[in-house]
Amino acid sequence: MAQNGDEALEMLDEAVDVVLLDRMMPGLSGDEVLERIRDSGFECRVAMVTAVEPDFDILEMGFDSYLTKPIRSEQLHETVGNLLERSTYDGLLQEYYSLVEKQATLEATKSSAELAESEEYANLTERIDNLQDDLSQTLGGIEDDEDFIATLRGLGNGDEH
Amino acid sequence: MATNTDQSETMYDLTNILDIDALESVRPGSNILISGPAMTGKDALAFDILADGTRQQQGAVIVSTGDRAENVIADYRDRAGTDTVRLGVVDCVSDGGGNAQSGDGIYVHNVSSPGDLTGIGIGITKALEGLHESGADRGRLALSSLSTMLTYTDRKTVFKFCHVLSSRLDAAEYLGLFTIDSGAHDDQTLQVIKQAFDGMIEVREVDGTREARAVGLSDSPSEWVEF
Repeated sequence: MAQNGDEALEMLDEAVDVVLLDRMMPGLSGDEVLERIRDSGFECRVAMVTAVEPDFDILEMGFDSYLTKPIRSEQLHETVGNLLERSTYDGLLQEYYSLVEKQATLEATKSSAELAESEEYANLTERIDNLQDDLSQTLGGIEDDEDFIATLRGLGNGDEH
Repeated sequence: MATNTDQSETMYDLTNILDIDALESVRPGSNILISGPAMTGKDALAFDILADGTRQQQGAVIVSTGDRAENVIADYRDRAGTDTVRLGVVDCVSDGGGNAQSGDGIYVHNVSSPGDLTGIGIGITKALEGLHESGADRGRLALSSLSTMLTYTDRKTVFKFCHVLSSRLDAAEYLGLFTIDSGAHDDQTLQVIKQAFDGMIEVREVDGTREARAVGLSDSPSEWVEF
């Protein structure tokens, strides 16, 4: 628990998975702290704590989620759980991509006869199928609008040119 | 990815546009890549498939990386043969400077660039929401084109984007159509992007005749048919 934005930034390291950030704070504002967290490169999820229910715009600003006051313990657990699950999803998606890329490399360099005999290729294909299942079961397969938008926002981070 | 196995859901029949058996009963949530060289009618094919849905009272969403919303809407009305369409347009070209407005079953969202994935996601979400409220519980989405997106964003990001969007469309029970210029990318890129889809419609032009076939939607590729 940090008393203000400066303290929060001092406490931030790779061990932090989720940050709950009040928007209205003495000193640095929530938005400024968020910007510095994103600039720091630490891959944590940030939920904004707010008195008013915001629109999707809040996700566009770079927050991953929000909690409206007064915060109930059930709501808090749900939000943190969901944010952790998003990190799991991102990890799975990254792994899925690297396997698909390997598979594509094999397909581009080997004949179909060679592929049929390749144990590496068979293993890859199996792992890709399994990951596809895992992905469709994580975050309920991105059924929720907030999960959808926040996941897309995560993709753009550092990857856009 | 189409993972829903509920038997009661209604399949999408695309055979009014392309007479191919594998396209007679396409599962909701399926995402199809339309791939072919430049100037072979990929976009027209995607929009025709959407317009066919509009004539069956389905919703339509177009994510456009090349054409402003007002042009997309005018072209779409012509194609559907009616002014009363339920259409969401995510315009990645006008950057807020477009004239097209939401209203009368039309939902327009402007995005700063084809590389703004968050903006595109928000636009699609708002379009789906608007269409749902207007009574269209199912529908078809076309994204034109992945090739333009690939000039703004790397292959890895576009692949992930396609996967995440596929999942969202699966949940909405929409049909997704995504066009890509097969001549603009190396084989490996095409191979990777293909993996984010349930199947593919390949398009080509032979002696001035446009042809298409379905790949990956049945056990073996279909015959080429004219369109």
